[in-house]
Amino acid sequence: MSLGVYVIRRLLQMIPVLLGVVFLVFSMLHIVPGDPAMIMAGEQASPAALERMRERLGLNDPLPVQYVRYLGNAIRGDLGESVRNNRAVTDEIFASRYWITLQLAIMSIALAVFIGVIAGIISAVWRHSLFDTMIMLIALFGLSMPSFWLGIMLIFWFSVQFFWLPAAGWGSLPQAVLPVITLGTAGAAVIARMTRSSMLEVINQDYIRTARAKGVKESVVIAKHALRNALIPVVTVVGLQFGFFLGGSVLTETVFAINGLGRLMVSAINARDFPIVQGAVLVASVSFMAVNLIVDITYRFLNKRIELN
Amino acid sequence: MHTSKLFTGRLATLALVAIMLFASMTAFSAGRQEAPATGEQDLIILINSDIVSLDPHGSNDSPSSNVRSQIFDTLVVFDSDMNLLPGLATSWEPVGDATWEFTLRQGVTFHDGTPFTADAVAASLNRVTDRDFGSQRLFLFQMISDVEVVDDFTVRVSTEFPFTPLLAHLAHDAAGIISPAALEAAGFDEVEPIGTGPFMLRTWDPGNEVVIERNPNYWGDAPTSATVTYRVIPEESTRLALVERGDAHIAEILQPASMGRVEASQGMNLRLFDTLSLNYIGFNTEQEPFNDPRVRRAVSQAINVQTMIDGIVEGAGVRAIGPISEAVVGFHPTLEGLSYDPAAARALLAEAGLADGFSTTLWTNDNPTRVAIAEIVQNNLAEVGIDVSIEVLEWGAYLSQTAEGLHDMFILGWVTVTGDADYGMYALLHSSNIGAAGNRAFFANDRVDELLDLGRRETDPDRRLALYHEVQEILVQEAPMLNLYHPKWMVAVGAGVENYDHHPDNTMLIRNVVVNR
Repeated sequence: MSLGVYVIRRLLQMIPVLLGVVFLVFSMLHIVPGDPAMIMAGEQASPAALERMRERLGLNDPLPVQYVRYLGNAIRGDLGESVRNNRAVTDEIFASRYWITLQLAIMSIALAVFIGVIAGIISAVWRHSLFDTMIMLIALFGLSMPSFWLGIMLIFWFSVQFFWLPAAGWGSLPQAVLPVITLGTAGAAVIARMTRSSMLEVINQDYIRTARAKGVKESVVIAKHALRNALIPVVTVVGLQFGFFLGGSVLTETVFAINGLGRLMVSAINARDFPIVQGAVLVASVSFMAVNLIVDITYRFLNKRIELN
Repeated sequence: MHTSKLFTGRLATLALVAIMLFASMTAFSAGRQEAPATGEQDLIILINSDIVSLDPHGSNDSPSSNVRSQIFDTLVVFDSDMNLLPGLATSWEPVGDATWEFTLRQGVTFHDGTPFTADAVAASLNRVTDRDFGSQRLFLFQMISDVEVVDDFTVRVSTEFPFTPLLAHLAHDAAGIISPAALEAAGFDEVEPIGTGPFMLRTWDPGNEVVIERNPNYWGDAPTSATVTYRVIPEESTRLALVERGDAHIAEILQPASMGRVEASQGMNLRLFDTLSLNYIGFNTEQEPFNDPRVRRAVSQAINVQTMIDGIVEGAGVRAIGPISEAVVGFHPTLEGLSYDPAAARALLAEAGLADGFSTTLWTNDNPTRVAIAEIVQNNLAEVGIDVSIEVLEWGAYLSQTAEGLHDMFILGWVTVTGDADYGMYALLHSSNIGAAGNRAFFANDRVDELLDLGRRETDPDRRLALYHEVQEILVQEAPMLNLYHPKWMVAVGAGVENYDHHPDNTMLIRNVVVNR
């Protein structure tokens, strides 16, 4: 099957998943106990305000009608309006926040892959050496460290004590350094551990021994024969991490005052602004699905034997 | 062959990553706005949560009010000592029983150039009181029955019943006067923030910051800052780091635990300000055993409130005796409260026939401060034989179930937003407000009702004070609520930042702030 056909098939397969996601997102409003209009308008709202809220959200129509309308609007790119400030949900998400989160996610995953893969290879190649122990210790540390704590510590040292880097905000390269380190660290730790175990598994395979036996240079064995095959589970992990980053890294965005998707979602949940929460969840889900598709295609590049099916 | 394919694949991936990185770098410059290089003062204030609405009739939250109070003027103003001063009205007097007449300031223009007249006052007040509009802030103006334009600079506001605290309600930022042109355009939608205030809106990046700039045509004294930026930084330690570094000038503090860090720093100073707020424990005065005032007094005397204040808010609170704080008009300065005295509490319980104590429940929502208070109460009451179980309820359920009277004891707060005793006590203690309207203690006392009704009508300030003082004296004996403390506003102010003041209603008074560099 050619790649083009495969991609089209995968895209078509996404449709039922998308419908399911939209259905779940739509149901959020109706699953929460109590009158959604009351929850959003607040307990002091007058009957007139409640009625206006119901009217605005179309809550007076039967549920199936509401669902079809939500779906139809979503397909046309209309996710409703924020209850708090009446701005279009798509504007709230795509005017700047989504792109900020995307920038943060790309830079962080790049850092995580760079550090994680190199550390993982070193660990696997010099297995049980001091290097290995140290790297795995650091990885365990990075994995266990809460990102908000790391962020606060980085701000304290590099921004307040040494004055090297700005403490917060988003918009310039220096401002990106600390959040990218914060977010990238945990990812790097996961990737390093996965790379190591996957490499170790591959290194013990017969074909590696064969390659060595026929006199291939060790560096080529590692880089070509071992790494390429070991990368498949690593790519899966990278994809998952990246997907999570795209959904908004709430803690990192909060600590560094980055106005991204994660912070939008949290503030909307706190303010009970359902249309925003629904829109943000939908966008995060679609992003996750897109990343999964890319990951699956990447498998094919890494190993021709993987059937595109 | 494999190698070359793999190599091109990798190259393609690398190129893709490089392109994406490059794209993200260049995208950086787009959203960035540089401050004007005027050499003038640009004040930066860090707040915890987002500004929701710049419509004075919109969202009832304090970050929004903070910015609105710089853009819009009200007819009358309370200064930070709660003295009533002229705003857009230069003088006012009662006309008859339930009407106030305001003489308006002349020569004032809105930010859009529209001249300020009585029509603007009528349009603004008529919008917020419109029942079809359903403003979140209608509750402040429900008693207004009519706004009459007498001439261009005279307006009369009538209430459904004689209502002396009207002036305090008109000093609230929700009574800010909006440009009639903007109102016309907006209808019931969010209005363009065009007022007559010392600052005008420059930019608003939702979730990130609002920038306001000096109004060159302001009728009063020009503010010291050319621009003021309100930036949303939800993480407290980040806010403090930015002030400490000198990147920002003023920051809100929400956690008492941060006070030590601010005090220890050379880059910033801690400032504490009185508030209009109260944290209290309410009793269900309709049900046994709390229908007996002796039991309520016993509980009040068994709880060591000062230890609570020292321990939980680290001293950033003032022991409350009556329900209103010193900043509220009507405060009783010499009121004697019940002292912490477990022996007296036991005696009172014995007198009420509960010498062996009893079991009860204390409700709270998941607010960490309130949960901590509940634990201290549980501990203190155990010492006098009262077995308290703490129940943490979800906020919505908490509000509705306390409104229905399903509770024994509960912990809640109240903010006297208008700074007047009427707003503080009428809702909490008048029998007509039992339940959701505010009186969750289900307290009904004829004399208190009578005094509160008289207080609304009394126009003589001294006689009015006497009425509210009597209410507060009755409350000590009746003890429908155990008033815990009035929390303080905590603010971190950068070193070299002068003339910062803070209104008890939590408006940051920043017009005269000077930053020494």
